Amino acid sequence: MRTRLIIAALTGLVLVSLLMGGCAKKIVKQPDAPLVPGYGAGGQVSEADMQGVQSTLRVVYFDFDKYGLSQEAQAALQYNAEILKKYPNVSVIAEGHCDERGTAEYNLALGERRAGSAAEYLSTVGIAPNRISTVSFGSELPVDPAHNEEAWAKNRRVYLRAGK
Amino acid sequence: MKIINTSKYCRSTVLAMLLWALAPALLALCPITAYAKLLIDVDNPNLTKMPVAVVDFVSESGGPVSGKDLAAIVKNDLFITGMFQIVECPASSALASGLEPNFDYLAQAGVQAIITGTFQVQGDQLTVEARLYDVGLRKLEMGKRYTARVADHRKMIHLFDDRVLEKLTGVQGCFSSKIAFVGDSQTRELYSMDYDGHNLQQLTRNGTINLSPDWAPDGNSILFTSYLNRNPDLWSLNLSNMKVMPISTRSGLNASGRFSPDGNFIALSMSVKSIPKIFIINTQGNILKQLTNGLGNDISPSWSPDSMAIAHVSDQAGAPQIYVSPVNGGDPRRLTFTSNYNTDPDWSPRGDMIAFTARIDGRFQVCVIRVDGSDFKVLTTQGSNQEPSWSPDGRLIAFTSNRDGAKRIYIMDAKGSIQIPVSPVTGKSPAWSRNNAR
Repeated sequence: MRTRLIIAALTGLVLVSLLMGGCAKKIVKQPDAPLVPGYGAGGQVSEADMQGVQSTLRVVYFDFDKYGLSQEAQAALQYNAEILKKYPNVSVIAEGHCDERGTAEYNLALGERRAGSAAEYLSTVGIAPNRISTVSFGSELPVDPAHNEEAWAKNRRVYLRAGK
Repeated sequence: MKIINTSKYCRSTVLAMLLWALAPALLALCPITAYAKLLIDVDNPNLTKMPVAVVDFVSESGGPVSGKDLAAIVKNDLFITGMFQIVECPASSALASGLEPNFDYLAQAGVQAIITGTFQVQGDQLTVEARLYDVGLRKLEMGKRYTARVADHRKMIHLFDDRVLEKLTGVQGCFSSKIAFVGDSQTRELYSMDYDGHNLQQLTRNGTINLSPDWAPDGNSILFTSYLNRNPDLWSLNLSNMKVMPISTRSGLNASGRFSPDGNFIALSMSVKSIPKIFIINTQGNILKQLTNGLGNDISPSWSPDSMAIAHVSDQAGAPQIYVSPVNGGDPRRLTFTSNYNTDPDWSPRGDMIAFTARIDGRFQVCVIRVDGSDFKVLTTQGSNQEPSWSPDGRLIAFTSNRDGAKRIYIMDAKGSIQIPVSPVTGKSPAWSRNNAR
């Protein structure tokens, strides 16, 4: 029974990864993209707009050890996509994070895939891929440093950082 | 620093180096009697610990170091290998007149070897003379004299202990080696320390996140991943001038870089083409080969000592597991099956074992497994233990443990029988230097 469950779970994961891989679009990285909103002067986006966008963007959460998007995660990204459509000059960096469990290096890979999942979803719902870049912070930057389920759930996330 | 070896008992340095290089071959070819009677067969699974006495070093001059401290360094070095039983003998009983060992007393106490020493301080210079005796044969086995700055007294004792291990096991000790690690505080600065936690040195002060240090085989630089440019890029830190240089700054991950045993190549995980995959680059950062393919996230490469294969993590089967991929082509072979989370492989310099982290009952433990997949062993039990890194002689393993609350670097012998915290500050991701410090 347990084996069957595990097999079902594994199959599910493989299917998800196949789907994710299948609709993958090239994500153009902007290595110099600012990590701080409104960083640098000029551009067509006002500081107020930028801060407005940042404050309304929702954090996307993930299940333990997973980088596939849950219903809630997809809803949050859909919501974020609508905001980004209203501000076509705003770019985002999808920052992928993990909870503290597991190893630092594997968590870097996991964070990268979470950021990639979010970026791919945004591009499939109409946000130009060149407006989205990704970066993984693994488990290095928890929002909640506590060592419990509640903190871990908050830390498994993709944070969209608005920039120009 | 220069340590002048002026021992009259010492063989020529060249010969010693040659012997060291040829040690494995000599071991295979020579009859055991070519070595001292006191030979520890490290491959014997029923190894009984050799009883050794270490007497406080004696000095006429006294000074800023004490004979007790010097002896304590020897005791600690020998103890951590798990091969010795340190027998406490008061100097008054263990030594006869003229600082010669009292062999009758020692033999009766069951001691098989004794280490004695004298030291003298002149200004800021310390001269240490240390000796290893075979109690059974009533014979001086080895004597060495070192002169260096007083501040380097630990280094001198470690050098002697390296030779003691060579004498007793055929393979030099690793007591002169270093461990680099990542500080576990708000920023993640790199540190290095002696293998036993002394002489802590902060290597970076860049205020950002620095990860996954790895020593160049020549010990002159450290490879690491850093967010200096807001992306996980691969950097190299030159230890002679402390300058950093970017090696790979491609978009996405440039993570878990590891030098090949000859130092000419670097294996790392990059996501420049899509998802994280293992690549081999040269030290200028040019891609030579993509080692892994498929649907998994691949990270944490570790070279075999002969450079023919790389162990790494892949979650291609749905959860992270250790695989071994041949460098010159061929399918990866899955190595681990016991847990649904196995990460952080580190290939032993002896070639036969791979240490890794496994999730067992919701916590993480350091394990070892033979390269053929047999002989799986869990070495740790308390708290969570991760990120194993072999010592250059393959006898010890450094790892991260939170068993006492905060994360700290620990070391243990390869059987896990002795486990002690060494880092004086909190830290993680230990990387043992590939050789002893020169």
